[in-house]
Order: sequence, then structure tokens, then C-alpha cells
Amino acid sequence: MKISGKAHLEGLQASFKEKQPRDWIKVGYGTCGIAAGADVVFASLIEELQKRNLDIPVFKCGCAGMCYAEPLVEVNVEGVPRVFYGMVTREIVHRIVEEHVSRHRLLDDHIYDLVMRTD
Amino acid sequence: MNKLIYIKDTNSGHKQEARDFAASLINKLREYQLEKEVRVVHVADIGVYNCGLALRILPNDYLYKNVSFADVARIVEKSLIKGERIEELASDRPSKQLRIVLRNCGAIDPENIEEYIAVGGYQALALALEKGPDYVIEEMKTSGLRGRGGAGFFTWMKWNISRAVEAERKYIICNGDEGDPGAYMDRSVLEGDPHSVIEGMLIGGFTAGATKGFFYIRAEYPLAIARIQKAIDLAYEYGLLGKDILGSGFSFDAEVRLGAGAFVCGEETALIASIEGKRGYPRPRPPYPSVKGLWGRPTIINNVETLANVPYVLYHGGKRFASIGTGTSKGTKVFALTGKVTNSGLIEVPMGISIREIVFEIGGGVLNDKKIKAVQTGGPSGGIIPAQFFETGVDYENLQKLGSIMGSGGMIVMDEDDCVVDIAKFFLGFCVDESCGKCSPCRIGSTQMLHILEKISTGRGIKEDLTTLRTIAHAMQKASLCGLGQTAANPVLSTLRYFEEEYLMHIEKRICPSGKCKAMVNYIIDQEVCKRCNLCMRRCPVGAIVGDKERGFIILKDKCIKCGECFEVCKFGTINRH
Repeated sequence: MKISGKAHLEGLQASFKEKQPRDWIKVGYGTCGIAAGADVVFASLIEELQKRNLDIPVFKCGCAGMCYAEPLVEVNVEGVPRVFYGMVTREIVHRIVEEHVSRHRLLDDHIYDLVMRTD
Repeated sequence: MNKLIYIKDTNSGHKQEARDFAASLINKLREYQLEKEVRVVHVADIGVYNCGLALRILPNDYLYKNVSFADVARIVEKSLIKGERIEELASDRPSKQLRIVLRNCGAIDPENIEEYIAVGGYQALALALEKGPDYVIEEMKTSGLRGRGGAGFFTWMKWNISRAVEAERKYIICNGDEGDPGAYMDRSVLEGDPHSVIEGMLIGGFTAGATKGFFYIRAEYPLAIARIQKAIDLAYEYGLLGKDILGSGFSFDAEVRLGAGAFVCGEETALIASIEGKRGYPRPRPPYPSVKGLWGRPTIINNVETLANVPYVLYHGGKRFASIGTGTSKGTKVFALTGKVTNSGLIEVPMGISIREIVFEIGGGVLNDKKIKAVQTGGPSGGIIPAQFFETGVDYENLQKLGSIMGSGGMIVMDEDDCVVDIAKFFLGFCVDESCGKCSPCRIGSTQMLHILEKISTGRGIKEDLTTLRTIAHAMQKASLCGLGQTAANPVLSTLRYFEEEYLMHIEKRICPSGKCKAMVNYIIDQEVCKRCNLCMRRCPVGAIVGDKERGFIILKDKCIKCGECFEVCKFGTINRH
């Protein structure tokens, strides 16, 4: 699809924004994340969600800057505050899906509560 | 009521103190029958450091520092039940970082162009195409954006110079060679938000009249290469590259070219040679690439980070960009904060922030509570900034005055265990490896300086060596053909400026105070303290420790490789190192 001009572009922005899901999970997938094991984390997340028939999309994203805490997983599920989990392993993925997503309970010891101010 | 409390011990990170406090808090909540309404969550990082127990209460968003057990009652009564803030404990939630270049990194899927468009992507391009090159130059001039590759040349000026040249073909190159050891800002932008760089390049190309762009990316970045290539392919699909972009009549093509392992190809004339298929040798300037570059045509070369700033400048206006930063250095800078720092990673801060804030408030302080010594900025072209200057605001001019440079953004934190001679030797060794060899000052000068540093770090230096180092350094600065040679001596000159006593200790006393220069470190077993447990002998990888439980153990000096394993493993502090 070729974008014909400014108006078309603005229209697309609106429609793409609408498409964005209410609940989502993002996994840091830069070189730092992959080196720390993000590929295992990503695959486990998909597996765990499928096991419980949870229809929450999992996305790959770039490096959020907290390289010391990779693999990083950002979870946004309605009813729970949006948080970044760091140093995520396969076991933590299991707990994220079991406790945070299913039971709306935040996990101890893995939240990175930092301000990410964008202008 | 449903409140949330995040809790963290920000000093030692000992979980026990935080757990005890949480238990005390929950007990108090039980008194008021609130234990079901308030959830206490232990977090891994709360954004503040070295201020005891810290809490954040949600949804009110109160941040409390240095909280003690005595505060439990009033926290429950005042903050949780009444919703009031306790001023003596309260603090602002630090937001020292400001993400402009990294605005989309970690937020969007870099392989999905729709997500980039959803956050306003390519609208800066649409605006530029509509308003024309004069408008773009004005906004870029107002913004004060300077090249982020390290030289700090005004971007609007570089574009304007190329724009003024009459030529049938012009080029724009994105410099993604990023050779500085420890710097990976450009890689992260290319991997995390490739479209922002494409959009920046399109705007620059349109403004100067370039119709072809090259992404020169070092081959050691396979993921960045893949992501940029995918982004280019998608941009073509959506008509954002190719013919008649957005119906404006402007056509532009882009392709990726790979580097082949040469640091010198980050230098613009060597980069051009590389794209032309030649060996990466720099050329004398003038003529500058903006006038006569790739294949003899006007060529703009911009760093990845510079280009990633451009859509923001156009979209939000140059004035908004110029409201951030200092008088001479506008906007933000992305730093790769590494070394002996607790939170190593990529940070983006407004220009003018102090080094102390970067290292201690964002970086979380020095690892393992060691004593801070200095930070090194600017990579192999840069210098060292000792702790006493940490209140300095980071900008192009301030860092230059201190004898360093901003560089591309590498910032390495050094503690008491790091040796300045060692770090100068490391960077100089890097330049020796990477020198293209074309001009004598760089080729011969750097090698000779390295020999001298090797002498000094193995206890064979003499006082005159320092004068020789300075002489060669100044010769290299004056006579080298390109930036690599001109700046290769900076780490040496900078460490000599601030840490001459450390060099003199290596030379006169044959001691390395930080213990880094292995040749001058000696490990000796103190026979009076030794418990004869045999642990060190078993640990030694080369069998340099001999003896038995009756007669004791000794370290054979000529077999010892100074690895320090015995020193680390001895539980009784028996082994002395000096």
C-alpha cells in the first residue's frame, strides 16, 4: 500500500492507533536482551499464555536502556499497574502468567520502577 | 481503598531489612483491618539509590526516602488512611532522563512500520515536504542540533553547505560504524527505532537535494543491519522511499553498505573510500565531503543519533528542542554508561546535567561500594575526568575544557581498582591496531608511545619517558592526516594531566597503586598468618604454590602468573599483594 500524501498518513495514524490492544506484553529484543536470554523468555511467554488460553499479544521491542536488567518484560494488563519486570527467566515467566496476568498480583523482587520521561 | 506500596532497601539491597519493615507495616495494617486493601510489593529497583529504605505509595505517587521502623504508624495513619503526604520523608520521583532519540525504543516493535506510523512517524517528513527546504533549515538552525558523532558541527550548516553546491547528484550517508569500544548507542537506535533514522535521512536528503542515501553500518552489528534493511523494504512498500514520496514529487533511494572491521572507516573520508570500494584511507580536507565527497559529489555524512533527532525537531519545532540543554549544546545526549557502575546501560539526558547525577543518581553509584576515581568519555579520542570535576555539566565545551571530548557517547566509570596507565595503554593499543598506516605521525608515533607505556607498566619506565610521551603526542596532534591520529594521544595526555603522580609511582617506586599492572604485583604468603589449609595450592592454575601442611606453603615467583586466584580464595587474608 503506497501512502499518497499527508492526509492519508494522518488517517493511517488514527486507524493504526485504534488497532492497538488493551492488554499486551512486550519483550526487550535488542542485542542486549537477546544476549541475556530474551529469546527463551519470548518463547516461554507465548507457550504459557497459550496453555491457559489467554488471548494477550506478545510483542518484541527494542532496548529500553536498562541493559543491566535484561531480559526485560513490560506487562500491561487491565486492573493491574503497568510494570517492567527485569532479569526474567523461564520460571519468572511462569509466575508472571500465573500470578500477574491470571490473578492480578504483582511479583516481588523483579519490578524495575523507573521513570521513563519522554518529551 | 486499594493501594499499592513498592518497597526497596536502596543501600545494601539486603532483602532482610526490607522484609522486616514490610512485616511491621502489614502488622499495623492488620490493626486497622486494612491488610486486604493495601498490597506491599518488594521491587528490584525504585529509582533512588543510597537513601536507606525507600517506599512509593500508589496511586497517590508519594516517594519516601530513609524510612525507619518508627515511621510505620504515621505512614499508615497519614498516608494510607488519610491520603496525605509526609513532607519530612517525601522526595520527588527522579526523572533525570529525557528520551527524545530513544523515544520509541522499548515502546514499539521495530519491525512493524504500522507502530511507527501510529506514534506519528513520517509526519515530520510530510511537513518538511510541504513547507520546503528553507523552512527545514530555519527549524534546524533554531534547534541548534549539533552532530552527535562527536565533532559537534551544526547539522543545519552541513546541510546548507551541500544544498548550495550545484551538482546533478548529491548523497547523504548515515554513519553507523560506531567503532568506540564500549559505545553502543547507535546500534540500539538502529535496532529499536530504525524508521526514525530513515525519516531523518529523508528530511536531510530533501533539504540538501540528495536523491540517494547510504546506511554504512559496521558488519559486527548483524541485528541492526537486518532491522534497517527490513525497515527500508517496508518503507518502499508504503511509498515512503522510491518515486514521488507522499505525492510531493521528491524521489529518494536508500541502501545499506557494510563496514569490514576497520575503526578508521568511521572517519568520513575513509568511510567514503570504503563505499567507493577502496581501502579505508582518509584523504586531506579541504575539500570537505559536503562539497566534494562520494564519487566527487556533494555528500552529507550524519551520525545515527543526529538523524534520529531530526523528526522530533521538525514535528515539535526547533524552539522546543532548543529549550532543552545549555547555551551552546542543545537537546539531549545518549550515553552508554558502562564500567564499574551499578546500573550499566543506555541513558539519555539533557545536555548540562552533571556527571555526578549521571553516575550516582541514574547509574546507582559505584559497583560494590568502591571508591570512584574518574569517568572516561569519548573513547579512544577522549580523556579522563577525575571525581573532583563531577559537578561539571556535560556539554561539548565543558568536556573540551577539561581535556576530554563528548565523543559519540561512551562513558566508562573507573574506580580505585582501575589504573590510569593501564587504561591509556588500552586505548593507545586500540589505535595502534586500527591505524590505517598512511601517515607517519600516527603509524610510528602511536607505536612508540605504546612501547613507552608498556615499559612503564612493567616497571621499566624512566622519568624522561613522560617528556617523550608528551613530545610525540603533540607531534601526532599537529601532523596526523585524520582524526584518528590527531586524537589517539588524548587518553595519554589527559591521564598525565590529572594523574601524573600515578605514573610517577609506576616509574620511581615500581608500584601500581590499583594493582592492575600485573607485572608489578607480587603475591606473598604471610607465614605467620597462614593456616596451612592448602586451599591456595589447589586453586593455583599453574602449580606455582608448593609446600605441605607441616612446613607451610610458598609462592614461586617465576612460575606465578599474577592471576590473583590465591588472593581471592584465601579466607584468612594470608596472601599479601603489593
